[in-house]
Amino acid sequence: MKKGYMGKVLVVDLSTREIWEETIPDTVYKSYLSGMGLGAWMLYNRIPANADPLGPDNMLGFMSGLLTGTGSLFTGRWMVVGKSPLTGAWGEANCGGHFSPAIKRCGFDGIFVRGKSDTPVYLYCDDHVREIRDATSLWGQDTVETENALIKTVNRPNAKVACIGPAGESISLISGISTDKGRMAARSGLGAVMGAKRLKAVVLAGTQRIVPHNRDEIKRLSQICNRWVQFQPPFISGPLTAPVGALMRILPTVLTQDGLLYKILLKKWGTVSMNQMSPEMGDSPIKNWKGTNKDWGFSKSYSSNPDVFTKCERVKYHCYSCPLGCGGICLTNGKYQETHKPEYETVLALGGLCMNQDVDSIFYLNELLNRMGMDSISAGATAAFAMECFEKGIITTADTDGVELTWGNPKAVEYLIEKMARREGIGDLLADGVKVAAAKIGNGADEYAIHAGGQEPGMHDSRNDPGFALHYSVEPAPGRHTNGAGLYYEMYQLWKVAKGIPKIPPMYLKSSKYKTSKRHAEIGAVNSKFMNVINGAGVCMFGSFIGAKRIRIFDWLNAAAGWQFTPEDYLETGARVQTLKQAFNIKHGIEPKANKITDRALGIAAQTQGANKGRTVDVDTMMADYWEEFGWDPSTGKPSQEMTNRETINGI
Amino acid sequence: MAFNIIETCIGCGACIRICPSGCITGEKKERHAIDPTLCMECSACGRICPSGSVENRLGQIIQRVKRAQWEKPRFDHKTCMACTICVEACPTGAITLGEPASKDPHAYPELGLEKRCIGCGFCVKECPVTAIAMTAPVEALPA
Ligand code: SF4
Ligand code: SF4
Ligand code: SF4
Repeated sequence: MKKGYMGKVLVVDLSTREIWEETIPDTVYKSYLSGMGLGAWMLYNRIPANADPLGPDNMLGFMSGLLTGTGSLFTGRWMVVGKSPLTGAWGEANCGGHFSPAIKRCGFDGIFVRGKSDTPVYLYCDDHVREIRDATSLWGQDTVETENALIKTVNRPNAKVACIGPAGESISLISGISTDKGRMAARSGLGAVMGAKRLKAVVLAGTQRIVPHNRDEIKRLSQICNRWVQFQPPFISGPLTAPVGALMRILPTVLTQDGLLYKILLKKWGTVSMNQMSPEMGDSPIKNWKGTNKDWGFSKSYSSNPDVFTKCERVKYHCYSCPLGCGGICLTNGKYQETHKPEYETVLALGGLCMNQDVDSIFYLNELLNRMGMDSISAGATAAFAMECFEKGIITTADTDGVELTWGNPKAVEYLIEKMARREGIGDLLADGVKVAAAKIGNGADEYAIHAGGQEPGMHDSRNDPGFALHYSVEPAPGRHTNGAGLYYEMYQLWKVAKGIPKIPPMYLKSSKYKTSKRHAEIGAVNSKFMNVINGAGVCMFGSFIGAKRIRIFDWLNAAAGWQFTPEDYLETGARVQTLKQAFNIKHGIEPKANKITDRALGIAAQTQGANKGRTVDVDTMMADYWEEFGWDPSTGKPSQEMTNRETINGI
Repeated sequence: MAFNIIETCIGCGACIRICPSGCITGEKKERHAIDPTLCMECSACGRICPSGSVENRLGQIIQRVKRAQWEKPRFDHKTCMACTICVEACPTGAITLGEPASKDPHAYPELGLEKRCIGCGFCVKECPVTAIAMTAPVEALPA
């Protein structure tokens, strides 16, 4: 089959121990693409309404992208989809590494697991064998130990492992799934779904070929893309990124960002390039979202300046098919010898959000969280929440073995995370994220729990870029910083290839960003649609930031599958997937309005100092406008029954 | 049409041992067979077969080549973008990532497990920037 995709999925029922292949009709790929779109189609149809996310009826999908393995670049992302136990809604997590081609090399675009095993098991799959195997001896081991043990046991070239750590085993609702010894598909709490199914790992060792329709054309487009990626002029030193951020804060105008700048930062440092720039701009939430850049000034953020991370970087780490390599393996001098270079999100969640300046503790906790299999954003956010509860006297030293949870105390952050990872003492209460913890603590703690529908948002302040407020609140998987923002839209430069979508001028007044306008929703809708195309194709968001003329995702898709769709057609496909995911939520009783992010993140009440002083985001209007963009009911966010029927079946 | 083992097969089992996808079956001294659904057309069986019994999808007999003369990939690290596509493309896991140089922190591919290489050229085929070429080994001149 020369289409780039494999045309088949594997379905595993852990209760009955049955394993079977299913052929997926071409129309499904045309309507929803592969990857997350195919996953949404399966899960919408297969998970019964109101299924318990931790019960046997929930289905977990491990998805590869349509473009993975076709010779395209930045297309090594794999995705895990399922009903989220953290939010009760559509759950998705996206991860790099080398697991995505491994799914296709076994002959599948996705592997779906339902049911529940009585004892710990792992799934093994290669060209011949598909087996549920015993994992009793692995239960309790961390993700690195598990991966090492399984690679040794199966002893096959290029075997790849996705597994959970002790956090997933103990059904922590903020646990994720690890590959490549600590790269996490962290969000939506899907590690807990594996834990509940007692599925410790999925091990893949296939060797099948992935055959696109026109590999030469794909390679030609890849070479264009690579030339842009390799363009790397010398750049300033790490700490100098801070004044750049400050300048962006002070200027009354915005220079529309060409993603090439961010690409240069990523190639040099990785996402930690933003450690100082973002707080200065007002993009990083500080002190559990109540602080500002004034609380986390240059001198405080200096200890985590980008150069600190590249200095101990032993080697750069590239995900599959990535010409950039934003990752790294860092040597640390703490308990662990090595760790994946912490990401910006992790550094800020364990750093600025908790006011913690001790970068050694961040390296240590990064590795601890990866090994335990816990989401570092949610874990950091929950620690910050606990610290504010302590400040308010809702949590006291009587709850914390005498540890003072004062802001900026690295011992306090370490204490909290270690306890959460092991579900001990106060950690048992906190291991399910801020929403669950606040409900258990009571006493008004929910005021300090910053979340959207239960999901702790990423480290990007919605008061600085209202686009984040919108996506945190309206995405079927709420609270996510990776679905869209005003800034992302600027970098995608989609208007250069697609007709009928808003064009951003090279420069505009900053104040216009904060005015109520339908424009926010228009842009937000295009962002969501495009993200569904990206996730169907398995593309890395950072790759797509270099601009649509440089990374030719739509052309790659046509060359891979032999289609002749226009960019507008693909955005239409993205809209269909969004409606499908929203319909999934409606089917499972989610009220879209209830996923609105906590007031504090919207500037209610507005901050009285700092970068986002006086800003309040009118997200209610933006949400209604956004729902209208998709043709859903603007007052409820629900697609009509007729639309649901049309878009979820779509002639199949 | 996939690859096919013709009736001249002597059933020596050399192809079974080299096939990276494990898709050849057969009793000793009897004609072997290839599972067409799993064959990835790497030609290794044909190159190793002592009786010239494997034909490709065009029905041409694959020529036997002495194992020491099999072509192997050479990597051009100036063009290479360290994307690891070739590492994953290799069905035998022959390609590994080298240690980074002091000035360039990226890890580039090399034929770290050379003995495993079956000369299939999939790495070359999948590299998007033509940073790999297959070359025959150069025989050392007698001293
Ligand atoms: S061509 Fe390669 S994969 Fe096919 S039977 Fe021969 S050795 Fe096996
Ligand atoms: S030719 Fe390349 S892909 Fe084939 S076995 Fe050798 S190294 Fe691996
Ligand atoms: S596929 Fe090509 S560019 Fe990528 S790592 Fe291998 S040789 Fe380098």
